[in-house]
Amino acid sequence: MGNLATSSRRGRLRKWLTTNEPISRGQARLGSAYRSWLAFSRNPLAMLGLIIVLALIIIAIFADQIATPSPVVGGDLRTERLQPPGENHWLGTDNQARDIFSRLVHGSRLTLMVVMLVTVIAMPIGLLIGTVAGYMGGWVDAVLMRITDIFLAFPRLILALAFVAALGPGIVNAVIAIAITSWPPYARIARAETLTIRNSDFVLAVRLQGASPFRIITRHIVPLCIPSVIIRVTLDMAGIILTAAGLGFLGLGAQPPTPEWGAMIAAGRQFIIDYWWVATMPGIAIFVVSLGFNLLGDGLRDVLDPKAEK
Amino acid sequence: MRKMATLLAASAMFALAFAPAKADTPPDTLVMAWQFDDIISLDPAEVFEFSAAEIMGNTYERLFGYDLKNVSDLFGVVAETWEVSEDGKTLTFKIREGTKFASGNDLTAEDVVFSLHRAVKLDKSPAFILTQFGFTTENVEEKIVQTGDYEFTFEMDQAYAPTFVLYCLTSTVASVVDKNLVLENEADGDLGYEWLKRNYAGSGPFALRQWRPNEAVVLERNDNFSGDKAPLTRVIYQHVPESSTQRLMLERGDIDIARNLGPEEIASLKSAEGIKIETGDKGGIYYLGLNQKNETLAIPQVRQALKYLIDYEAIADTIMAGQVQVHQAFLPKGFLGAVEDTPFQLDVEKAKELLAEAGLADGFSVTMDTRNTPDITGMGEAIQQTFAQGGVKLELIPGDGAQTLTKNRAREHDIYIGRWGPDYQDPNTNADAFAANPDNSDDASAKPLAWRNAWDIPELTEKVRAAVLETDGEKRAALYEEMQREVMETGPFVIMFQEIEVAAMRDNVDGFIIGPSFDANQYGAATKN
Repeated sequence: MGNLATSSRRGRLRKWLTTNEPISRGQARLGSAYRSWLAFSRNPLAMLGLIIVLALIIIAIFADQIATPSPVVGGDLRTERLQPPGENHWLGTDNQARDIFSRLVHGSRLTLMVVMLVTVIAMPIGLLIGTVAGYMGGWVDAVLMRITDIFLAFPRLILALAFVAALGPGIVNAVIAIAITSWPPYARIARAETLTIRNSDFVLAVRLQGASPFRIITRHIVPLCIPSVIIRVTLDMAGIILTAAGLGFLGLGAQPPTPEWGAMIAAGRQFIIDYWWVATMPGIAIFVVSLGFNLLGDGLRDVLDPKAEK
Repeated sequence: MRKMATLLAASAMFALAFAPAKADTPPDTLVMAWQFDDIISLDPAEVFEFSAAEIMGNTYERLFGYDLKNVSDLFGVVAETWEVSEDGKTLTFKIREGTKFASGNDLTAEDVVFSLHRAVKLDKSPAFILTQFGFTTENVEEKIVQTGDYEFTFEMDQAYAPTFVLYCLTSTVASVVDKNLVLENEADGDLGYEWLKRNYAGSGPFALRQWRPNEAVVLERNDNFSGDKAPLTRVIYQHVPESSTQRLMLERGDIDIARNLGPEEIASLKSAEGIKIETGDKGGIYYLGLNQKNETLAIPQVRQALKYLIDYEAIADTIMAGQVQVHQAFLPKGFLGAVEDTPFQLDVEKAKELLAEAGLADGFSVTMDTRNTPDITGMGEAIQQTFAQGGVKLELIPGDGAQTLTKNRAREHDIYIGRWGPDYQDPNTNADAFAANPDNSDDASAKPLAWRNAWDIPELTEKVRAAVLETDGEKRAALYEEMQREVMETGPFVIMFQEIEVAAMRDNVDGFIIGPSFDANQYGAATKN
């Protein structure tokens, strides 16, 4: 009987969410979110991406509990160095007798941190520049877009390399360099979206009511640009991870003994023939996480992009 | 259909053309894979780099040479005999007759004197090896004078120990160049400098045929060589930066010798069929330089403590296995007076006591500039771990060789992990670097390692200067021993290892000699069966 009750309650909730005649704004919003989730969860690849990303977040949060051996302090150089994957060390040990599994787990924090910081820095910059350029038009648009063009003209990794070389190696500088190089596409997207809506009736209406350009941009244009920018950012996260790993590989990202995945591959490179696991394990980690973000981004695009509506 | 067939045939041919062909190297040619991105010039008056020095050693002859097995045994190469004047300031050399350059010109005292004048006048990096005897661009023509077809005199400002002088004349800067050939190619009075950078005017067992930077160096047998002619017709160096690539090439037989393999690669090649490993002690020293401008590192107990916080043995047995041996004095084994004691080993308790004495019982933080090559980074990380056991938090600052060295030379580092190679085989070369600092001000003209670490040591400097004037070999050795122990005990240098050079080669290669110095690797008598 209890089962019946819960299932009927669930049914009612579902009905409330999927109704065609929502009676409040909140209901409409929740309903639309629920429908998006239904569409998203029907895509198995997108779900796989989501699971990978959630797993990454959980691993990063509970790194200390999941992997107990220290990721930076190695064991006995004579007996525990370059051990193959086995019982004591699930993924083997590296050149400094450190547990590779533990390093990967703790390295996930770095990866996640890089992704989040880059997003937090680059997305607002891109949105602001794009919407301002699109809404203001004229010389403001020209100046802002030419600056964007300059940044887009350089290959991303090369530009990031140049910045890190100027700022000095280190994870924080790597984040700054990647952020500096990754905002231009967001600005472009935001500008394109803005151009399509800047002359719509609702914008003209608020302008007639005397709203300032600042208010129009922040309250009426930015919210409409956010979905497409979010999609782009999620798709870019794989690229951000790869760029961070690339900088680490070249010795310009995290400094030893930080367990950064790219730096781990670089260190394992010299042993790749005899001790394949040293470079392979972080390689697999980077691959899986990049794939996860890509799948998630793809799924989100299918759901959030209004133009690709079912 | 016909189009399809053509396409298939074309792609098959394409595939064939790029398929890895397993080909042995020609029997009269020695092919080596090596990292020689450091070569900037092949002019013996300018060469001061590890790779170029080896090429100089096989293509040019110098006034003197030494027995590769026993460095203290000196003998004349271009020079036949020498005499010291009564006041000890003037040396008279007789040149061996009948030697010819690869060009066919006779080698006479005129060429020798020209070569020495040229090195002093060009005043490139290695010129100090000659100018330390009091020569300047102005006075060198009066001091080094040709006195006969096969005789010249060499007048110094002080009565230096003759062995010291002769060892300096074994260095690449004392190579003899072909005066006529060089002057034929002189432009704007540059003494042939621009031309000789990429060309050859020597008399060694091999002649330089071609140098393509970061690609290949090709040497050919010099048929005019006055000694035993080389059995090999050709020696080719290929620039291969990745050590794993070198290993694969060696296993496949694409090269005869791989020169830059890591310890793990050497270990697994030891059991490989058709491949043998040869090693030789080198003069290179790995050390930590503790900058005395850093107030913490300037405390004697701290310097002492850090010397007890490195697991020398473990590093030499694992990360650097087969590449280094533990060595803690500034003179490498084989040098006159070299001290071979190793008083320091990992002793965390003792280090903690010393740190407590210095008032740093809770430890301290310090940075280390670390070159981002696998060997230096590997050592740096291992040191980081043992330092941590003693409470010293070491932050590694990675950079490429030029970056870290520039910082070191500007005295802007805390700790610098480096490799130091002697410039010639006399003990003064390292004593001058580690134990002499004539002027500790920021704009000093001489900037030896002691200066780079701001170690102000007027008394020790005096001792170094006095040692080059001591003519008695045994007394001189004793002086250097004393200096080494003093640097070991109190110096801002944690001297850790002496380098061992390892080369893996196909087992049909014979007679490739790994000498004690970078310009002493020789293949003049090498053969392939």
